[in-house]
Amino acid sequence: MDASTGPVVSTRHLTKAYGRLLALRQLDLRVEPGEVFGYLGPNGAGKTTTFRLLMGLLRPTSGRASVLGLDTWRASVAVHRQVGYLPGEPVLYDRLTGHQHVEYFRSLRSMPEDKYARALAERLDLELGKPARSLSKGNRQKLALVLALMSRPRLLVLDEPTSGLDPMVQREFHALLREHTAEGGSVLLSSHVLAEVQRVADRIGVLRAGRLVAVERLEDLRRKSLHHLTARFAEPVAAADLHLPDDVRDVVVDGDTVTCSAPQSALDGVLKGVSRWPVVDFGCVEAELEETFLAYYGEETGRVA
Amino acid sequence: MRDVTLKTIYDQRRGLLAWCVSLALLVAMYVAVWPSIRGQPSMAQFLDSMPKAFRALFAMSGADMSSPAGYVQIELLSFLGPMILLGYAIAAGSSAVAGEEERHTLDMLLANPVSRARVVLEKGAAMVVGVLLLAAVTAAALLFEGPLGDLRLPAGNVVAAMVHLALLALVFGSLALALGASTGRLGLSRAVPAVAAVAAYVVNGLGPLVSWLEPLQKFSPFYQYGGHDPLRTGVSTSGILVAVLTVLAFAGLAVAGFRRRDIAA
Repeated sequence: MDASTGPVVSTRHLTKAYGRLLALRQLDLRVEPGEVFGYLGPNGAGKTTTFRLLMGLLRPTSGRASVLGLDTWRASVAVHRQVGYLPGEPVLYDRLTGHQHVEYFRSLRSMPEDKYARALAERLDLELGKPARSLSKGNRQKLALVLALMSRPRLLVLDEPTSGLDPMVQREFHALLREHTAEGGSVLLSSHVLAEVQRVADRIGVLRAGRLVAVERLEDLRRKSLHHLTARFAEPVAAADLHLPDDVRDVVVDGDTVTCSAPQSALDGVLKGVSRWPVVDFGCVEAELEETFLAYYGEETGRVA
Repeated sequence: MRDVTLKTIYDQRRGLLAWCVSLALLVAMYVAVWPSIRGQPSMAQFLDSMPKAFRALFAMSGADMSSPAGYVQIELLSFLGPMILLGYAIAAGSSAVAGEEERHTLDMLLANPVSRARVVLEKGAAMVVGVLLLAAVTAAALLFEGPLGDLRLPAGNVVAAMVHLALLALVFGSLALALGASTGRLGLSRAVPAVAAVAAYVVNGLGPLVSWLEPLQKFSPFYQYGGHDPLRTGVSTSGILVAVLTVLAFAGLAVAGFRRRDIAA
């Protein structure tokens, strides 16, 4: 597999068991160059297990995983050269300052200088002179982010990256991700909330109880995005008389008023059905993506939001 | 912060300094007491009157409080010195991998392009440096503080004894390193070497007196360390060889054990 054109992340039947507990089952996942992949699922679904397998911290029980064509277990050192990793709950060295962290990891990565690390810290509004133990949770998260990003890796593996970050910093973080992908870099980031990844992700995958239950392009999801419709007619109507398309949900008839939710693709059908009757009032509001998402995957995925 | 070894030593700097000062003070105390001990025939009688088994545990080959070598051996080399150096080595060896793992800093460290073998060996190297430092400080204290209380020892033999002492500590320190690297469990990798050290100490001490222990005595690292009486006879090549090979074997096990397992989340 050619590392320059092939997928950045590729797993095949990747499975991890802890004793009898199957934490991850037969995962087939691909992340392409320049792509931001949002990895969604409730806590305990297997997101962190996936990431730690990709980082060579865990050995696959069966199946395989590769990053840029390199096996994540056998060639972990070569993989790490190209990857920046943010653990789910990053733990830093309490007594070392931000500068010392940067210096240590920079040496281990054979990076000649720390200009970019300093620039990152400045953009994230992080003071590098203080020891890690005196930093707030948000600032520790920022320092861990600086350490993950500072080598300009081709792939970023970020486990719940925005936890503890205030909205201003989150915006800066999203800008950093866009710059990273603009240069051809890829991102695999996890969250348990869709709202958090919908701004940055190109595709999302939904993980539930160790299984990848859905992978969807965000634009496709937007195409499916639910619209809340309300129509008031001149006289009471029956739902069946409207001949609404099949993928319309939550149809409620209350006297002369009908409400329903419809994906974008069904709007035309709804309008044509409704317009056969005398309409007095009509309203259409697009739902939050989160709601669309839950409507499609909510029951299967448990509480995603 | 240039590599794992230097960073590990940097982390230990305060502890190491405290140990160095303690050892220097301990030696100073022995030196200060020496003039009042050496003229006392009753001390020799007291030692002679002790049960043989008890004496064997801390007196090494000769129990002779009237010569500088015998005095230092009984007071420092037979018990307290090994205890301090072993304590440091076991603590350093066990926390090398298992300590970072239990504090959960290992994930970020290993996400760097460094092999697990390199991490465990560089951490082991830091332990070696620390042990050698403590042994060197003890040797220096004996050689420079000793003459102040007329406690004169041949420099070559002091160095030889400290080399053996350092190797003794490294045997159990590298056992702790191997256990920590293979299991990730800090408590286990501290407890097992500590118990093993006590067992080895007892086997060596009682070997000459208890017939069924005698064949085991030569396998005790304490025998490689003190069986030949380094303060009087200098280095034992075979003792050094056995200890070095043991340390290397444990280092190999540490690498092999660390490379094949999952890192605890």
